[in-house]
Amino acid sequence: MKTYIGVALAAALLLPAAAHAQAGKPFVEARGSVKSVPLPPGGPTPRMSDGHPDLSGVWFAGPTGKANNWSVDPESPVKEDPIPWQPWAEAKRKAMTRVDLELTSVAVNCGPVGTPGMFSENAYAHLISTKPGQFIHLIERNNRWHVVHTDGRPHKPVEELEPLFYGDQTARWEGDTLVIDSISIDERSQIEDGWFHSDQLHVIERLRRPSKNYLEYQFTIEDPKVLVKPWTSAWRTFTLSANDEDLFESFCTNNENPGQLEKLNEIEKTRK
Amino acid sequence: MKMTFGFVFAALLAAVPASAHHAFAVEFDAKNCSDITGVLTKVDYQNPHAYIYVDAKENGQTVAKTFQLSSTSNLKRGGATLPVMNASVGKEVLVRGCASRNGEDNRYAASFIKLADGTVQRLGQDVEGVFGTKVWR
Repeated sequence: MKTYIGVALAAALLLPAAAHAQAGKPFVEARGSVKSVPLPPGGPTPRMSDGHPDLSGVWFAGPTGKANNWSVDPESPVKEDPIPWQPWAEAKRKAMTRVDLELTSVAVNCGPVGTPGMFSENAYAHLISTKPGQFIHLIERNNRWHVVHTDGRPHKPVEELEPLFYGDQTARWEGDTLVIDSISIDERSQIEDGWFHSDQLHVIERLRRPSKNYLEYQFTIEDPKVLVKPWTSAWRTFTLSANDEDLFESFCTNNENPGQLEKLNEIEKTRK
Repeated sequence: MKMTFGFVFAALLAAVPASAHHAFAVEFDAKNCSDITGVLTKVDYQNPHAYIYVDAKENGQTVAKTFQLSSTSNLKRGGATLPVMNASVGKEVLVRGCASRNGEDNRYAASFIKLADGTVQRLGQDVEGVFGTKVWR
């Protein structure tokens, strides 16, 4: 790897294809591309005054401690169990066109991400702050945040539940793992692009910090109206900002093309 | 060892959701990309996407080209800060851009720029795979 990066560093533009470039395309070395250098563990898990892990920090998805949107490493699908759709739901999902998917994507429509979307539908940096009894989670996207009690209190009584994008949330510690439990989640949110849910959605998220530099996240989806059985994601890795970065202001305003959503909607109307 | 590491790393990276990539394929044509040389006239950093403007020469005529860049947070983290970009205003640059497919002439998504001082600076997604990344849909 060092070899081809070194060769490409000739500061020219399009150099002959390296073995790692895809489909015969040339390889370009550019400032800003993120290379696959994982952070070391960095030391033991920091702990709060009550002895539980302190999850505080600015976190990026992936192992490098940097924003990975410009990673130069080929992306391959993470090994996940298939989604156990009910037949009607599977048929609905399969019938969704690419335009359908674009229109429902929060990256395109700038809508709320919800739970577990703060993690599963967000490619931007996270700022987590924990103190005994409280979990605070902000993401670098449209000033989004949620705060969860971590004292294991029960959910609100059924008669008080209303649909919320983050849902009614409570959390507890199971050993060194923070378990966040969410119900009553607004049906307009989605689990991941194209993964719709019902009003019976129950999300169980787990967060652990095995070392100073690493945070791991996993979520379970229970949705008896849509799935035939619960589904649990693989553990996903986040790393502490290597450069002690702050979150930037980052609003989704659709400024990349003011007419984009209209065009997508027009395509969809014409199709139907 | 190397292969194991590569596999594990790829698996970890795959956790990054695709939601950062907007509707690129709807708006731009990843199969219609070219190198465009001209004078950088303006740098416009706005939320969430930034823009640069280049006066290119085509058949003796000056043609104003607009390039959409990545998010300002990606740009800043990647070294394309406003001062870095502004240092090339009024000077010749080369921009790799993929053309708009929405019938808007001279509008592109940029993937990198060769700044006036020769630095090759990343500006956007790797839709062509030129940086060795996955080619986006």
